[in-house]
Amino acid sequence: MRLGFPRPSLSTFSPILFHANPGRPNTCSSKCLIQPKPQTPLFLRPPTHSVTLSELRKWQNWAKTLASSVGSNFIDADNSPDTILLHRELNWLIEDALENPKPLLTQLGTDCNDEGMVMNLRAELGDLYELWKRRIEERRPFQYVVGCEHWRDLVLSVEEGVLIPRPETELIVDLVTDLVKGDHGELREGLWADLGTGSGALAIGIGRVLGTCGRVIATDLSPVAVAVAAYNVQRYNLQNKIEIKLGSWFEPLKDVKGQLVGLVSNPPYIPSDHISGLQAEVAKHEPRLALDGGADGMDDLLHLCHGATSMLKPGGFFAFETNGEKQCKSLVHYMQNESKGSFCDVSIVSDFAGKQRFVTGFKARPFVNNLHTSCISS
Amino acid sequence: MECLVQSLTKSSLYCSTITTTILSSTKPVSLYNPPKLNSSLHCHRPLFLGFSTALSPPFRLTSTGLLATPDRQLSVGDSTETSEWAMQDFYSLRRDVETVSKRVEEIRASVGLKQLEEELADLESAAADGSFWDDRARAQQTLMSLTDVKDKIKLLSEFKTQVEDAETIVNLTEEIDSVDGALLGEASIIVRELNKALDRFELTQLFAGPYDKEGAVVYITAGAGGTDAQDWADMLLRMYVRWGEKQRYKTRVVEKSLGEEAGIKSATIEMEGRYAYGYLSGEKGTHRIVRQSPFNAKGLRQTSFSAVEVMPLLPDESIDVEIPEEELEISFTRAGGKGGQNVNKVETAVRITHIPTGVAVRCTEERSQLANKIKALSRLKAKLLVIAEEQRASEIKQIRGDTVKAEWGQQIRNYVFHPYKLVKDVRTGFETSDIASVMDGELDLFIKGYLKYKYSEAMVAASTK
Repeated sequence: MRLGFPRPSLSTFSPILFHANPGRPNTCSSKCLIQPKPQTPLFLRPPTHSVTLSELRKWQNWAKTLASSVGSNFIDADNSPDTILLHRELNWLIEDALENPKPLLTQLGTDCNDEGMVMNLRAELGDLYELWKRRIEERRPFQYVVGCEHWRDLVLSVEEGVLIPRPETELIVDLVTDLVKGDHGELREGLWADLGTGSGALAIGIGRVLGTCGRVIATDLSPVAVAVAAYNVQRYNLQNKIEIKLGSWFEPLKDVKGQLVGLVSNPPYIPSDHISGLQAEVAKHEPRLALDGGADGMDDLLHLCHGATSMLKPGGFFAFETNGEKQCKSLVHYMQNESKGSFCDVSIVSDFAGKQRFVTGFKARPFVNNLHTSCISS
Repeated sequence: MECLVQSLTKSSLYCSTITTTILSSTKPVSLYNPPKLNSSLHCHRPLFLGFSTALSPPFRLTSTGLLATPDRQLSVGDSTETSEWAMQDFYSLRRDVETVSKRVEEIRASVGLKQLEEELADLESAAADGSFWDDRARAQQTLMSLTDVKDKIKLLSEFKTQVEDAETIVNLTEEIDSVDGALLGEASIIVRELNKALDRFELTQLFAGPYDKEGAVVYITAGAGGTDAQDWADMLLRMYVRWGEKQRYKTRVVEKSLGEEAGIKSATIEMEGRYAYGYLSGEKGTHRIVRQSPFNAKGLRQTSFSAVEVMPLLPDESIDVEIPEEELEISFTRAGGKGGQNVNKVETAVRITHIPTGVAVRCTEERSQLANKIKALSRLKAKLLVIAEEQRASEIKQIRGDTVKAEWGQQIRNYVFHPYKLVKDVRTGFETSDIASVMDGELDLFIKGYLKYKYSEAMVAASTK
């Protein structure tokens, strides 16, 4: 079995191979003046590299073999993708790398008469060898390999230094969608905030369900995240609706204090000492800044909870993602005791796997009306 | 009325003609009804009934209309061409009117007019219900049967008025003791048409099958025997298309695959219209032709076969399946313990279960959870459609029964063009030498014959049980 890398990469698009220091990449402070330039996802690059079908087949077979060599080693080690998933990833890589991926994907394993057929690639074939090798050997997340993640009906650009949005988080957009649907305007046309936006997933998802006057401010401490989020917002043409601000949590929101009708966040919530035990794709490659929630993982959740009392308008909605049942319960407990009377209709929402994942609620109105009799304070 | 009076004198002039023709008639038939005729006509008794060509230049054997019995129409004449009505004709007309009147009474009694009217009232009150349209499919069905019952009642009352019209003419003629050709001609037309309509009505009563009311799809396949058989299939295609057009069915050849030299290998005809399937279902089988082959230089006698299959034309169920949200159970699974930020796996599996049927689908290959959900849902719909389709297919299989083989020993009907001309139904024994008309779509006698045969067979089977 040949697992070697046959050709050195000479690609002008080598930035896709650029690999920032894993762990805490680009953690330059908010004083960073030069914004990093976000990378273009593979599927959006120009198909300027040609390759023959037989050359591509060769690469494909090599990549498949490499993926097969993994077997269930990864899954046994740290619950990482197995061969089946890796093969699926390989197909998606082909989908993104080829201008017209159909022939290769549909003729998989079948004899094609035209081995000399020339196909257009969005990266050099050599880069594809290198990308896949690093996927397997370094456990670089697939989403960083192709530079994007499909999330809801969006395709979001992601790169090292930005948390890859998770499918669980999609549910927050559903919650907001349901909320603004039944709303008479205040929530739909008001100002929302997405704190620690990362790739901008939540901000964009929510921005698309708000009314014409609805706005979203998304903040992130990481300049890379801010750049990537801004790029994604641009791609969905929402720059008039979504503003990306660099800074820690509520810091960039000082001038809209008490004006938010909605606040959502997927803050870092993994307890610090859990991180090293996570699957390699996460622990070694995703930004620790976006994962590490302190000793019990609650540092940032509590900070958000605290800030929400002053930032939200009365009747304003909030939704926070947590690490599971334990954090949900302790967050609810905190709201019931420490910030007594500030929130109402606080509830725990489970994700699709049935895990208690989100805490949602509303900022209490000064005069508790009939609608909010279930307020925690009462 | 005026014209009747005017023609009184004229009619009496024909007496002498009548006398002579009656004497020349050979078949004496006693007239069971004592005529209430004017004494001037008494001399002509006893009357002979029957037909003599000398007597009736206006009489002609019209080709049978839809499923009309040949024996019933022979007694009526076409009066528009002439008004030379003889008393015998009048008597025979009177007899016909009496017969048809009896027939109408019998039919009205056997159908159960009273029950029909009750049924109509029930259906109408159901249709007037406020919640009637809540169940669209049911509502449609109710409306269909409502139309059916209404049509039936209307038809039955039409029969009665028509027979009454004919009776009035007969009575009038008797009272004024004279013969008006135009009037009597009208009566005879009424009788003729009424008989046809009654035949048709009786036949529809034979249609008890669940699909008999539907349209029909006729599949014609040429048997072995190359060009000859393919030409024969083409002839059958033309025959059925002609028949369909005569019935005023919306007839379309929806598929046709041509033979190499001539004719067709196969063809499919769709006929939209009430009872098309009921009429045609008996045509299913092998049709055999014997003729001098036009494709053979020596003109040898050649036997060929073609298979005819008939299926009901069932309405297409809506392809768009709409599944109410509450009938779906959607679960998203993601392998990987704690989930959320802890895990990075590209798999976002979605599983959807259709609760009423228990049919479940899973979609994992799309790149986002939402995309998986959308795909899973469309896959579920397709699956439910396939299941519905399979159900329908097994139903269709039941209707179709055994496959028809276009070969020896299987034929239901022989069409002999040479050395003599004869079309004969093997099952019923009905035959005619007018092969040209048959090939022009005059199939009614065959169809009707078979339906009656089938009906009586079923009756026999039922009585021996």
